[in-house]
Amino acid sequence: MRYLLFVPLVLFVALGQVAAAPYFPLLGVTANPLLVLLMCWTMVRGSRETMVLIPLAGTFKDLITTDPAGASVLALLPIVPLAAIRERWPTEGEFVPTLAAVAVASLSYHLVYMMILTAVGDGPPWLQSPTRVILPAALLNALVTPIFYLPVRWATALSEMVRPGMRVAG
Amino acid sequence: MRTLVWLLVVGLLALLGIALSQLGALDPFKNGALTVASPLERGLRAAASPAADFFDNVADRQDLEEENRLLRQQIEDLTAEIARLKEDQFMAADLAELAEVENSRPDDQFLVARVIARDPSNLKERLAIDCGSDDGVSEGMVVMSEGASLVGVTSKVLDDFAWVTLITDSNSNVNAMVLESRAQGVVNGSLHDGLHMDLIPQDAEVEPGNTVTTSALGGNFPQALLIGQVASVRGEAQDVFKKAEVQPAASLSRLENVLVLTSFTATRLESP
Repeated sequence: MRYLLFVPLVLFVALGQVAAAPYFPLLGVTANPLLVLLMCWTMVRGSRETMVLIPLAGTFKDLITTDPAGASVLALLPIVPLAAIRERWPTEGEFVPTLAAVAVASLSYHLVYMMILTAVGDGPPWLQSPTRVILPAALLNALVTPIFYLPVRWATALSEMVRPGMRVAG
Repeated sequence: MRTLVWLLVVGLLALLGIALSQLGALDPFKNGALTVASPLERGLRAAASPAADFFDNVADRQDLEEENRLLRQQIEDLTAEIARLKEDQFMAADLAELAEVENSRPDDQFLVARVIARDPSNLKERLAIDCGSDDGVSEGMVVMSEGASLVGVTSKVLDDFAWVTLITDSNSNVNAMVLESRAQGVVNGSLHDGLHMDLIPQDAEVEPGNTVTTSALGGNFPQALLIGQVASVRGEAQDVFKKAEVQPAASLSRLENVLVLTSFTATRLESP
């Protein structure tokens, strides 16, 4: 039942990323709201739901962009194993490990994505990419994390209050 | 274990999807998805537009914005006009070249297309237009701004939509010429570092403010299509070639409509 709400929400974010994100460049790059949302989701609610959302949202995004269908899915896959950061983080609290996870997910996203583009003959210049895209994008995605983390956190807390024991296991 | 299985299954399916995409088997799905998504995208973009404008220009945004838009349009129109006049001057001086230009550039026919989306990837500079193969667009067609300056080339064409690779894309290369000195070179896009004109002979006179247009070399672009203006020139005396930074004439980040040049067939697309 919850997927009736979650799937349209994530697809809407994917659509918003294509429609609006390119018009808000910062540090020379644009944020990846889909990646940030899915990483926050995984850190707060566990990976079970994300395992359904990643293939759907990634495929949808690829269908409305120039990417080969499946490229974003592959690039978003590391989000699920990255949830382990939460368990291994030495201090209490979810926010700081979420920031770290978003930054790492952003790095891995671009690396996988660049490998795919190179494999299909559309590769970007690898030498320039780390300083001009990969690192600024990781920083920007970490900067916009609170915008997604807080609503996910509040919504989860709210659902736990309404229905105790609803928290999804990772 | 469950995660590992999931990673393997989804990873393999994604690889299959990529392979099918490369074969063009998923193009109908892409066309369908864009058909459904493009009105929503337009709505979202229109809703985000005020914020984007605010982001662009915090103070006095409405007046400055309009004024800036008009001035940019005027600059682009006038620069394109200057480029055309300069080209006319050169052509008048050289009848042989005139004949060549006339042969290489028949009466231009354009298709007006609306920009419906930009690729959100930080690694690509591409935009989607609402015309596709059903409208007569094919891959490799030259795309221009309303001010008649070069925007890019269609790189992926679906039934009702097409993706345009902008001249600022890191995979874009355009044979170009500095109008004032007739110096030839290649205008390359780069990763978030604007346009560069490379391979300019060291002895060529190139100065900031010079006009850069396409050259007919290679046959992939019509001659004398405005690209932009030289912003700065780099290169030491011992270098083999000079390099110039080029300011694109078209406002590539804010395009709303473009013209697809349907009457020109690039050499690489002509059948043998």
